[in-house]
Amino acid sequence: MSAAATAQGPAQSRRGTTFTAATLLLPILLINAIGFMLPVANLAVISVSEIRSSGAMTGGWSIAKWTTVATDPFYWELLANTVRTSLIVTILTLVVSYPIALCLHRMNGAWKSILLVLVISPLLLSSVVRTYGWIAILSDRGLVNSALAALGAQEPFRLMFNLTGVMIGLTEILMPYMILALLAGFGRLDPRVEEAAATLGAPPYRVFWRVVLPLSLPGVALGSLLTFVLAISSFITPKLLGGGRVFLLATEVYDQAIVTLDWPLAATLSIIVLVVFGLALAVYTRILRQIG
Amino acid sequence: MPAEDHVSPVTKQNADETAATDRFLSLQALTKRYGDTAAVDAVDLDVRKGEFLAMLGPSGCGKTTTLRMIAGLVPTTAGQIVVAGRDLTNVPPYQRDMGLVFQSYALFPHMSVAANVAFGLEMRGMAKADIRARVAEALQLVRLTGYEDRRPGQLSGGQQQRVALARALVIRPLILLLDEPLSNLDAKLREEMRNEIRDIQRRLGTTALFVTHDQDEALTMADRVVVMNKGRIEQTGTPEDLYERPRTAFVAAFVGRTNRFPGTGAGEVVHVGGVTMRCARPVSGPVEVMIRPHRIHLDGAGERRADDNHAAGTIIRTTYAGNVVQYDVQAGDAVFNVEQSTDATGALVSVGTAVTLSWSVANTLVFEAAP
Repeated sequence: MSAAATAQGPAQSRRGTTFTAATLLLPILLINAIGFMLPVANLAVISVSEIRSSGAMTGGWSIAKWTTVATDPFYWELLANTVRTSLIVTILTLVVSYPIALCLHRMNGAWKSILLVLVISPLLLSSVVRTYGWIAILSDRGLVNSALAALGAQEPFRLMFNLTGVMIGLTEILMPYMILALLAGFGRLDPRVEEAAATLGAPPYRVFWRVVLPLSLPGVALGSLLTFVLAISSFITPKLLGGGRVFLLATEVYDQAIVTLDWPLAATLSIIVLVVFGLALAVYTRILRQIG
Repeated sequence: MPAEDHVSPVTKQNADETAATDRFLSLQALTKRYGDTAAVDAVDLDVRKGEFLAMLGPSGCGKTTTLRMIAGLVPTTAGQIVVAGRDLTNVPPYQRDMGLVFQSYALFPHMSVAANVAFGLEMRGMAKADIRARVAEALQLVRLTGYEDRRPGQLSGGQQQRVALARALVIRPLILLLDEPLSNLDAKLREEMRNEIRDIQRRLGTTALFVTHDQDEALTMADRVVVMNKGRIEQTGTPEDLYERPRTAFVAAFVGRTNRFPGTGAGEVVHVGGVTMRCARPVSGPVEVMIRPHRIHLDGAGERRADDNHAAGTIIRTTYAGNVVQYDVQAGDAVFNVEQSTDATGALVSVGTAVTLSWSVANTLVFEAAP
C-alpha cells in the first residue's frame, strides 16, 4: 500500500508538471495557431488556386504559379537579388552597430540609460516617416547632394531610386534591432576575462580578436538573424527609396497582391520568403551549436 | 657623480643585487584618487624577491586597487611602481609580465583548459612544441594532467582556480598577483588550496602578492602581511608581529579576536569599568584596551595566579564550540570574553559561578582612543 503510494507519487507529480506546462503554453499555442499557422495554410491554398485574368478565383486548382516561378529566370534572379541585398544590409548593419553595442555594454549608470533610450527612440517613429527622412537627405537636391554641390560637385550622386539608397535606408532602420540583439547576446563578455587576457600579454587588438569577438558571437548570430529576416521582409523602404526600380521579393509580393491582383502568385512568393526564413533559422541554429 | 667613480664595480654590482632582491617590487607613494576620495593614499611598500606577501584589510581599504595598479589595470594618480629596478608605472598591462589570478577565475570560457594555459605563451610568440611542453608542465604542477581538452564550464570551482593559477604561472611572471583567489571556494577546498598555492609558490620561488580580507588566510600563508585601512598601510610585519605587537587599535582588532574596552589611562595603569589593570607603557587620557580572549586565565574565586592583572567576576554566558569554550565574564562594568581549550576530562564552568581572571601585562594592549 505504502510502496504503491511512493511509486505513484513521482509519476503523479510529473503528470502535474506536464499539465501546468500545457496550461501555460496554451495561450501562445492558440495565438500561433490562429495568427500564424492558419494564415500560412491559407497562403498555401491560395497559391494553388486557379484564377481568371481578372484576378477572380475560379474555384479550381492549378500549380501554374509554382511552375512559372520555378521556370522563369526572373524569379530566380529576384530571389538571388533579395537574399544578396538582405545579406549585404545585414553585414552593413552589423559593422556599424557592433561598436555602438560594445560601447553600451561596457557603460553603466545614467549615461548607459540615456544612450540606450537614444538607440531605441527611432523605433518610436514608423519606418515610413524615417524613409521620408532619408529621401530628404539622399535625393538629387537633398542634404548630401546640396552639400556636395556647394563644394563644387557638377553632377549629383545618385543615392536614391537605386539599390544604394535602399541599403542605406534599411541599414539605419534596422540598426536599433541589431544593437538590442547584440546587447542581449553579449552576456558572456566579462571585463575580468578581457583583463586576464591583457595581463597575459595580449595587446588590445589581440584581446579583441581572441576574446571579445569569439565571446560576442552568440550576439552577432542573433542580431544577424533578426536583421536578415527584417531586411528580407521589409517593403516600405525598398518601395520608397527604390522608386520602383529595385525589385525584391517583398515588393513583388505587394505588387502582385495589390496592383496586379494575382493572389496565387503573391502567395507563392510569400511561401518562398517563408522558406528562406526557415533556412536562415536553420543556419543560425547550426552556428549557435558550433559556438557552443 | 665623482663619488660613484670610487665605488668598485664589484661592490656596486652587489649593491644593485641587494636592491634588486630586497626591493624586488617597490611601491613609492602610490596613490589612486577617485574624485576627492583617495582609494589608495601614498602607499610605500617594498617586497623581497621570492617573498609571499599578503595584503589584508576590510573591503574598500584599497588593497585590490593597489593590486590592480601593480597589474596595470588601473591607472595610477601619483607615485611609482618599480619592479626589478624598472619603472612600470606607465607600462601597459600586456607588457608587464604579471601573473594575475582573479577571484572569479576569469578563464576564457570558449577555450579548452590547454588553450587557456597556452594563451600567455602564444602572446609571447613561443614555438608550438615549446608551448605544449610548458602547458603540460604547468598542468602537472596544479595536478590537472588529463584535463587538457575540457572546457572551463565542465570543471569544479577548485579545478577552475587551479587552471587560473597554471595560466598565470606558465608565463613565469615577475610577480604572481592573487586577488582573493579562495573567496569563491567552500571552506574545505579553501584550506586545501591555501597549502597548494603556498607549496607551489615556494617550489618556484615566485614573488607573490596575495590580497585577502580573511585574516586566517593572511596569517597562515604569508611571510609578511600588510594591513590596510582606508587607503593607507596600518602596519607591515610578520604574522606574529601583527598578532602579538599590533601598532594600532585597528590592527589589533582586525587581526585575531580580542576584547575591546574603552578605558582611562593614568600612568602605567588603566581603569576599565571598575577594573584596574597594569599596562606595558605609560598612558593618560582616554584609551582603548585590548586583551585576547585565550590569553586570559580563568580560575575559581580567590585563586590568584602570578600574573600581574586580575579581575573578580561572574560567568554570565557559556558557549561550547568543541575545541574551545567561550565564557562571558562580568567583572565590574566590563564583560570579558575568555576562551579556554577543552579536554576530555574538563568540566564546563556553569553560569553564575564566581571566578578570578588573570592575564599578564604583556597581553594588555593599550592604544590611544581614536578622537
